[in-house]
Amino acid sequence: MRLEVRNLSKSYGKNEVLKEIDFDFESGKIYGLIGRNGSGKTTFFNCLNEDVTVDEGKFYLEDEYGRNYLNTSDIGYVISTPVVPEFLTGKEFLEFYIDINKDRITNLKTVDEYFDLVKIDKESQNKLLKDYSHGMKNKMQMLINIISNPKVILLDEPLTSLDIVVQEDMKKLLKSLKKDHIIIFSTHILEIAMDLCDEIVILNKKRLETVEKDNLNTKKYKDKIINCLKDESND
Amino acid sequence: MINNLIRSLNIDISYAVNSFIYGIRKLPILDDLITDDIYKSKISKRIISVISIILSCIKLLVFRLSYCSVIYFISIFLFNDSKYFSHIFFLFTMIGLFINNKLLNTSVKRYLSILVFNMNARSYMFSSFSWDLILNVILNSVGFIVFSNFCDISLVTSLLLIIICLLSRVVGEGFNILYYKRFNYIWYNNYPLYFSVLGILLGLCFTPFINIFINNIFLIGSVIVLGILSIISFIYLLSIKDYKIMFKQLNTLKNAVNSKEAEAYSRQSMVEIKNKHKEVDKSKIEGKMGYDLFNTLFYERHKEILINSVKKFALIIVFIYIGIIVGSCFDKSVYPTMNSFLHNRLGMFVFLMYFINRGAIVTQAMFYNCDHAMLTYNFYRERGVILGLFKKRLISIIKINLIPSILIGIGNTILFYISGGTDLITYISSFMFIVMFSIFFSVHYLVLYYLLQPYNKDMQMKKMSYGIASFLTYYFSYVIFFELVVSTVTLSIISIVFVVLYIIIGLFLVNKFAPRTFKLNK
Repeated sequence: MRLEVRNLSKSYGKNEVLKEIDFDFESGKIYGLIGRNGSGKTTFFNCLNEDVTVDEGKFYLEDEYGRNYLNTSDIGYVISTPVVPEFLTGKEFLEFYIDINKDRITNLKTVDEYFDLVKIDKESQNKLLKDYSHGMKNKMQMLINIISNPKVILLDEPLTSLDIVVQEDMKKLLKSLKKDHIIIFSTHILEIAMDLCDEIVILNKKRLETVEKDNLNTKKYKDKIINCLKDESND
Repeated sequence: MINNLIRSLNIDISYAVNSFIYGIRKLPILDDLITDDIYKSKISKRIISVISIILSCIKLLVFRLSYCSVIYFISIFLFNDSKYFSHIFFLFTMIGLFINNKLLNTSVKRYLSILVFNMNARSYMFSSFSWDLILNVILNSVGFIVFSNFCDISLVTSLLLIIICLLSRVVGEGFNILYYKRFNYIWYNNYPLYFSVLGILLGLCFTPFINIFINNIFLIGSVIVLGILSIISFIYLLSIKDYKIMFKQLNTLKNAVNSKEAEAYSRQSMVEIKNKHKEVDKSKIEGKMGYDLFNTLFYERHKEILINSVKKFALIIVFIYIGIIVGSCFDKSVYPTMNSFLHNRLGMFVFLMYFINRGAIVTQAMFYNCDHAMLTYNFYRERGVILGLFKKRLISIIKINLIPSILIGIGNTILFYISGGTDLITYISSFMFIVMFSIFFSVHYLVLYYLLQPYNKDMQMKKMSYGIASFLTYYFSYVIFFELVVSTVTLSIISIVFVVLYIIIGLFLVNKFAPRTFKLNK
């Protein structure tokens, strides 16, 4: 399965954020999207998810059914600050979500099985989402986004504010999903990206660019990425 | 579509029930008695569901009946005759056609339904819209059953108006979406156009003064025209496929992410700084230093919600007074009622002053865009800083709110004059009454804010005392509005004494307690 980005450009007024981007993402890999603050990572995701209108560009998804335009129903978008219905309990939220999306869900599991997947215990399931911690809300958001099995999963800095135990749980979950999904993971924490991702892509000079690992060790690879990002700021 | 409607209503009910339980658990003692288990108890939730549904129905009914009451009072107030109820109802419906925009309306509930629950946007939009239309017919029918007796409206007129209301909603939605797709913004953000349409329709409310009013033949004609337009509009609405994209463009992720509560969301949208006001005119800040500069920058950057909205109020007030003055020239028989009203029922204006005062929203803006960040710094919590800034803010708020009040005062003075006049003391005292109450509400909101600072960082109100104080303010205004029938001079003397005392006590309390009470709620 392949996601093709073709000739994507996006400006806000006179500020050009993305310029004629051409890039392919494939399933089986987790892509770490790295960029400096304000480089346009979220804008790139918003373009894919049709949250903003693009100035130019097309997105295609090639799978077993052929090459078609990317549809937002193919995308699960996990944002860094989770938005959940605060006055529903975790269980109610999940039950409503499954009921609404049951036609799209393949391999339907029980509610308990889903909660087990993200390690939310019985007691917490019946609490209001309002009373969930940030990490728990993030887990719920992640769960909702993977339940309907979208082909493309976009994650915008989802691990940044989580404690290390939750971070590890999430990493394991993402690794288990990568085989059948195209996962693009944006972060500005290099260590997380290097630990989790199979390929590092930087948003450099308004374009996407892969940083090849070649045969470099971790330290040298890290230096190479940082140099690429510095190079961007010197332009 | 029906399934979507049922799901959506189910979510609404669960939301309402949980909010209800959450509210109850906030009360003292009950928090210890009721545990989280109540959220999974099916029986208790079912009972609360029934209560919640009944309460929602009552709320909707009360709202609709209040709307009809307002129209009833306007017809009595302006024309001294309730037979013009249907005339004003029709014109208000036409105003609603333009401004009552459901499909493009942004709300957290919609954001959650379409973007979080991933409902089919088109199907969701149509199911919620159909539900609105059904409610519209039911509530209007109840409204007319009640008010047709009061206002002597025939069954035929009632039915025609109910149908017009229904059709105009469909036409309005079609128009709004067509305009949005053509120009990429919702039409009422084009202020010149918005005020022209509003002005013309409000102006037409006064035509009974020149003996022109809407009768059944006109209503039948309207049903035919709106019927045709609503069919075209409905076909157009059905033909649109990209509701989800339109919806995403209107409900940006940023807006929903900034706050997670519906209330907070709407408040934040209201008090958000508009981009065009980020640049401040240099002449306004020249020579200013320290907190003086700080305060000026705040007001300059909040022009949209402060000064511009006051200007809008001022325009509407001028327009209404001109309407009444010109209209009454055609029917001089209203003068004695008008004169007597101004002599004896000036208290009604307290309610008006309550509604137009920007104090509540200004304090919200202060908190959200300024104090909630600044209060984390120790230097901002020093006694001198708090009191110094309080004084500067007080003067600014009073100035802003005085604009519409002075216009009301002048308007009343002119109405007094043309309706037969009065003595000099009454002229002055009626004017002073309006001005004093404007100052009162300005001081009141700021004093409450400094003494009770009720918000937490999400703009949720965390203090019951602020809610109670706000309710008492409303109740006090309401009582004066409905109950008080005294002469203008007496009322003015009482109110001036009261307001002056209130201001002195308020300032004293702020001086004494604000350095301790003006802080962030955790």
